Amino acid sequence: MPYLKDERPATMMVEGDWQVGAYRYKAPRLLEEFSAGMKEKKIIGSMCMGCGKVITQPRNICGRCHRRMEGRRVLSDWGTITCFVTSPPVEKGRYKIFGMDPVDTGTLKLGEILIPVFVRFDGSDSNINCLLLNAKPEEVFIGMRVKAVWAKELKGAMSDLEGVEPIREK
Amino acid sequence: MFRNCAIIGCGQTKHSSRRRDVSVAELVGQAVDAALLDAGITMKDVGCVVSGNMQGFGGVAQPDLWIGDWMGIPGKPAIRIATGGTTGGSVGQGACYTVASGMYDISLGVAWEKHSDSKEAGATTGLMHVGMGNLFHALTYGLSLKNLIATTAVGAAAGVAVYQARFYMNRSGCRQEHLDMVAAKARRNAAKNPYAHLQWPNCQPSDIAKTELIAFPFRYGHVCPASDGASAIVVAEEKTARKLCKQPAWFLGMGSYSDEENQLQSENYGGVGVIDPSEQMGCRVSAQKAYAMAGITDPQKEIDLAEIYQPFPSQELIFSERLGLFDDGTAWRHMEKGETDINGRMPISVSGGVNATNAIGSSALQRILEAALQVQGKAGEHQVPKKVRKAVAHGWGGVTNYITVTVLGNSPR
Repeated sequence: MPYLKDERPATMMVEGDWQVGAYRYKAPRLLEEFSAGMKEKKIIGSMCMGCGKVITQPRNICGRCHRRMEGRRVLSDWGTITCFVTSPPVEKGRYKIFGMDPVDTGTLKLGEILIPVFVRFDGSDSNINCLLLNAKPEEVFIGMRVKAVWAKELKGAMSDLEGVEPIREK
Repeated sequence: MFRNCAIIGCGQTKHSSRRRDVSVAELVGQAVDAALLDAGITMKDVGCVVSGNMQGFGGVAQPDLWIGDWMGIPGKPAIRIATGGTTGGSVGQGACYTVASGMYDISLGVAWEKHSDSKEAGATTGLMHVGMGNLFHALTYGLSLKNLIATTAVGAAAGVAVYQARFYMNRSGCRQEHLDMVAAKARRNAAKNPYAHLQWPNCQPSDIAKTELIAFPFRYGHVCPASDGASAIVVAEEKTARKLCKQPAWFLGMGSYSDEENQLQSENYGGVGVIDPSEQMGCRVSAQKAYAMAGITDPQKEIDLAEIYQPFPSQELIFSERLGLFDDGTAWRHMEKGETDINGRMPISVSGGVNATNAIGSSALQRILEAALQVQGKAGEHQVPKKVRKAVAHGWGGVTNYITVTVLGNSPR
């Protein structure tokens, strides 16, 4: 082993900070259009003029055709669940976001079961990933029809779409 | 067509969650030395070094800049490749390209990861780092914190794969208990591989079923570890390979195709056009290309063994179908019958695979390396009993859309 020195019991560690706030990532301008649409309860998708696919959130280039997605479509806020996952009941100390426990900050409720779902809103060829609200974990299934749940006060931000809920027959 | 070339030397380090006995440079040095020793050559004989790791995961942006000496790079061309989780597969194929093209007679492929060098392995400098751009966009445009936690952080690393598993289970009929079986098989196989990380002799599906639920269908016992480790291969052209090695592992075919991004959202925070992330079109196309090059018409009969990149058990099932080893939606039935066991008809990931050992940058190179060991008959305790004439090695990564498929055999094309 010509390159290796004798193995040591442990390597050395030097403490330091990493300022993640130093990053300045830029989002595509299309997100502005998408967020603005939210204020009017509109889910906007972009359409590929090559294959006709409608993708939401909107994007500039079609993934497979590599053509500009210049068309715009406003999608229905009704859709179908294509996939779902259920979390175990929320416990304290299980997650940390930005160093804070979401139970302490009130973002999550103790014992709450989260059901993240993929929803294909009618008229689109892609999924949106959001939460299923007002439903029990045992009643969710793939193919379930759902509708958007909008925030009471619309701000023109992505948080305006709070999630989806089952369409119940009256 | 390219000129024939083969793997004549393999080297890897012991994998564990914290290799505190060595620095990343020393770790890589160990794998390189082991590969050179196995091939019976020195760095003088090597024409070119192709290297790579999963950028950012070890807490160092460009470790290759300061560990070049440990890979024997001085005085030689150095090529760095980074394709996310697929890096090792791309490094292996890259080393093959440099020899197959006629540029060099012997090349060295090196890949590694030392997760424990970042304070929170796989967190601040790992997946979170990779997702940082995404995260900032989402927060800038007002994604609520609750949605962020629920949709991206519930499964953490499993976040992408858990949806993929759900899609697969829905269309194939596979159940959670089958994921337990695959994970138990990986731990059992790893116990026979001295370099593997999560070794659990006689691990049973019931042992895995007792572990904590992360997000249905994934349990804690289903998830791969974050490992420290490195691997290296020596690739030589036909004449040199025959001279230096009794049983080289010949490159018969290679394919590497990408699909459009297919994780939750694209890295630009636009949507993606892939409804079902278990579709993995890139794998299907890569396999087709690699098999055509290798002259394989019926992979179900002609392939003797597969090393699949399967950090999560569902992926062993998904990709074995995409590699054409089983018909669509049937992999779990074959696995249930024991066909993918070490002594089965189609042994899969007999080294324990990525599910038991995951030094990310190195993981896909290890698949090629382990397939080569099986072809050479040098795998030791986890050598399959049957003769391995043709083996396929698979790599998966990028934004869950980059694929490498490499076919190795015991005789040249």
